[in-house]
Amino acid sequence: MTEIETPTAQESSIGSLLVADCGTVTTKVVLLDRVGGHYRFVARGEAPTTAESPWTDVSAGIRHATEQIAQVTGREFFDRSGDLITSKIPDQQTDIFAATTSASEPLHVVLGGLVRDLSVASAERAAAGTYSLVNAILASDGRGGLTEEERVRTIHRAKSHVICIAGGLENGAVRPVLELVDTAALACSLMDEGARPRMLFAGNSQLRQRIAEIVKGRADLRVADNVRPTLMEENLINAQEEMDELYRESKMSELPGMDVLTSWSSVPVTPTARALSRVIQYLWHVGGNHSKGVIGIDVGAANTAIAAVFDGTPYLTINGNLGVAFGGRKLVESHGTDVLTRWMPEPMTPEEVYGLLINKEVHPASIPQERRELWLEQGLAREAMRMTLEMARPGWKPGAAQPYRSLLPLCDTIIVSGGVLASAARPGQTALMVLDALQPIGVTTLVLDKYGLAPALGNVAAVKPLAAVEALDSGCFVNLATVVAPVGRARPGGTILTVKVSYDDGSSFSVEVQHGQMEVLPLPPGQQAVLELRPRPGIDVGIRSRRDYKQRVSGGLAGLIIDARGRPLHLLGERKKRLVQLQQWLWDVGA
Amino acid sequence: MYYPFETQVTPLTSVRRERILPASGDTLVRLGDRVEPMQIVARAKVPGEFRVVSVARQLGVRANQIKEYMRVKVGEEVRRGQILAQKGLRPPVKSPISGILTASGGGRVLVETPPTMTELRAYIAGTVTNVLDGHAVVIETTGAVVQGTWGAGTESVGVLKRLVKSPERMLRIKEIDASCHGTIIVGGAGLNEAVLERAQELQVRGIVTGGLSAELLDAAQKLPFPIVVTEGIGSIPMSAPVFQLLTTNDGREASISGRVNTRWGVVRPEVIIPLPAESLPSTQAQPGMPLAVGARVRIVRAPFLGQAGTVAAIIDQSRRLETGAKVRGVEVDLGRGKTVFVPLTNLEVLI
Repeated sequence: MTEIETPTAQESSIGSLLVADCGTVTTKVVLLDRVGGHYRFVARGEAPTTAESPWTDVSAGIRHATEQIAQVTGREFFDRSGDLITSKIPDQQTDIFAATTSASEPLHVVLGGLVRDLSVASAERAAAGTYSLVNAILASDGRGGLTEEERVRTIHRAKSHVICIAGGLENGAVRPVLELVDTAALACSLMDEGARPRMLFAGNSQLRQRIAEIVKGRADLRVADNVRPTLMEENLINAQEEMDELYRESKMSELPGMDVLTSWSSVPVTPTARALSRVIQYLWHVGGNHSKGVIGIDVGAANTAIAAVFDGTPYLTINGNLGVAFGGRKLVESHGTDVLTRWMPEPMTPEEVYGLLINKEVHPASIPQERRELWLEQGLAREAMRMTLEMARPGWKPGAAQPYRSLLPLCDTIIVSGGVLASAARPGQTALMVLDALQPIGVTTLVLDKYGLAPALGNVAAVKPLAAVEALDSGCFVNLATVVAPVGRARPGGTILTVKVSYDDGSSFSVEVQHGQMEVLPLPPGQQAVLELRPRPGIDVGIRSRRDYKQRVSGGLAGLIIDARGRPLHLLGERKKRLVQLQQWLWDVGA
Repeated sequence: MYYPFETQVTPLTSVRRERILPASGDTLVRLGDRVEPMQIVARAKVPGEFRVVSVARQLGVRANQIKEYMRVKVGEEVRRGQILAQKGLRPPVKSPISGILTASGGGRVLVETPPTMTELRAYIAGTVTNVLDGHAVVIETTGAVVQGTWGAGTESVGVLKRLVKSPERMLRIKEIDASCHGTIIVGGAGLNEAVLERAQELQVRGIVTGGLSAELLDAAQKLPFPIVVTEGIGSIPMSAPVFQLLTTNDGREASISGRVNTRWGVVRPEVIIPLPAESLPSTQAQPGMPLAVGARVRIVRAPFLGQAGTVAAIIDQSRRLETGAKVRGVEVDLGRGKTVFVPLTNLEVLI
């Protein structure tokens, strides 16, 4: 189940690590090296990604970012021909280079199935396990009931790379599944051979032979385990692996400069989100509290990814439709601008919102210089996280970690990654974005991936776990906040919780927390304290045993946050009151 | 070192454009040919219409039984309304379109119309420098190039006609008269819906504007000619270098493209003005070079969106913005003694 390996003794011979992530817009590189027997962060560089003209070679962006590291360290990383130096020249070598990327075009997918809320929904979650965009959905039930000709046209117009067909429980429906496959095969046969999408069948496994016969000569067929073998069961792993393989083969490999990256890299270049998932798996396994989950969220320019582990099972969901640079325009076209302005502490007209979102798409690396533009971008980040969570949650089987069906499961740690979160002006802004969007419950530690390199280290972990483990502890991750978020009904302003904080120097204080309030208590990074929680009857702070009433927690950049605003979070409907509410929350967290 | 994003606002440069067919077809020009913008340089057949006809369902028979009722074989031509299959006294199955019956299976047949011809024009006046037989033609010329940020529509050719005196001015309806017919009109900070309507009435060949209000985006996308927005969405004065370049070339023939694609093969809207050149001057900045003091830059974010200047200094230490963020940036000299700090990511170099 886990991809994490045990550290090996041979790893002590590894010298420096150069890890890179080529994002859609920005390429980041970090140098880690052994200092006193342990890996430490040495330097970082950042440059625009160079997949487009005039470079059309992503390795150029890595060179540009690495040049900044070279300036700081005085080391040389590339030879005169521009190749990465990996030979053993003292102080000049890079022992491991590992890269991740999310810069490729995603896989364009058409999904087909029998029932929109069952097999099609499962196929949708399978597709979301890799960088994909769903261009069309063909469901056989009422809401998607198209004629055969309409289906063929839909597939034609979609210009997809893959048609993924699910449907049919094991020992279940036969004819409608075969008809759907036949229609898809017919649509493929009408296309030029070079433009035909591949077909992935992830439905009733007993039909594989008949489907192969139907599809033969008309499309390249792959099969995966049934994503919906029974009404109550979902099985995405195999279909997600197949989708990921298709993405790597047909899109990631086409990224300009990918051949160079591959030749430099000591480990296979990996999709960023998949590598993030690996880190989250590692953190869950080394973490002490297996009754809770671990989540990683990465808000990129074009995608938002959530990797989670509950009960040892990894889950990965990538929203290829929404990042902070791309997707905002489409979001407001389909949902209206209120979906973003409801998070802003000052008003903005729909025209201004729309204009700013288009300008951001045209200049995706640009950053807000004015506050109102910052609020819009942070509102977009909130929606990207919230909507991705909505995509992910139905696929999670968190077991004991999910006391409330409609709320986020209990999480021990939430890793926060992505430029909009890591570069926020104040830590409180980052914390508030995450709290508003994900709405964690109980006691959770928010950890910031300062340099956006968690995924790349996850990639290293596949082959050099010790190096990755030490690197993660070397300053790339920093505690953002410890959050206590009580759940339960109470009258506004009523006391719901007493919190006692005891510092290591012997000092302590107690706070009574009122429902609807947000309190930030001082607990800087590097400090620890004992937290004693006394919830009022009917209030749940995620404590499952008596010993948990006292917990040792770590400080963070934004301190210790008691988020008693309620779950689910309630935004006031009246605009003027809501603006005051949002401004108050910003002040509360020092943002 | 920082490698900034780039945009072309170039008085004279070498221009190379690939004209690629959507499907394999025929290239109609040869290496070294001189071509005019409206000249057809390649053409290809693209698949036509199709209809799926459910024969079994209409006849009330099983899928494997339709063969015995079919009146037309695969590969045969059919006319609209022609009987495809018939069983006894049941209403016959007729072809919904004229074409060829191309496939049969699963109880239905497929009727396809003959492919239609798509033609590819040269777009720019120049010389054919490469021909990829059946696929693409490369045309090169020399001239001025202005890349925009947003656009709509396809491609066109016309004479540039500047209608505003300064880049800060809005283009007004009274400035568009009959003399604009067949021209590419150049405005300033923006325009309104009445201007778009008048431009259509007068059949202009294109519009170039600094800014465009978000309310007009839908209307702009329905125009029968291309529109190029040089700075961005909103009321934004056209940046001085762009306005100056278009003013210098007022009255010259230009090619305009409103095509835009922001990801996976970025395509930017553009205006190309072919100009004769014995030898090309070395431009101030070459593509793909690190940012340097003296570089011509344009600011892409408020509060200085659309303003252009030169890099006065590259600041090593991060500075705090109004938002509170600490970022690296440069001092940009906007002229008239005004220098502003701009984050590196909010600049593009004009090449």
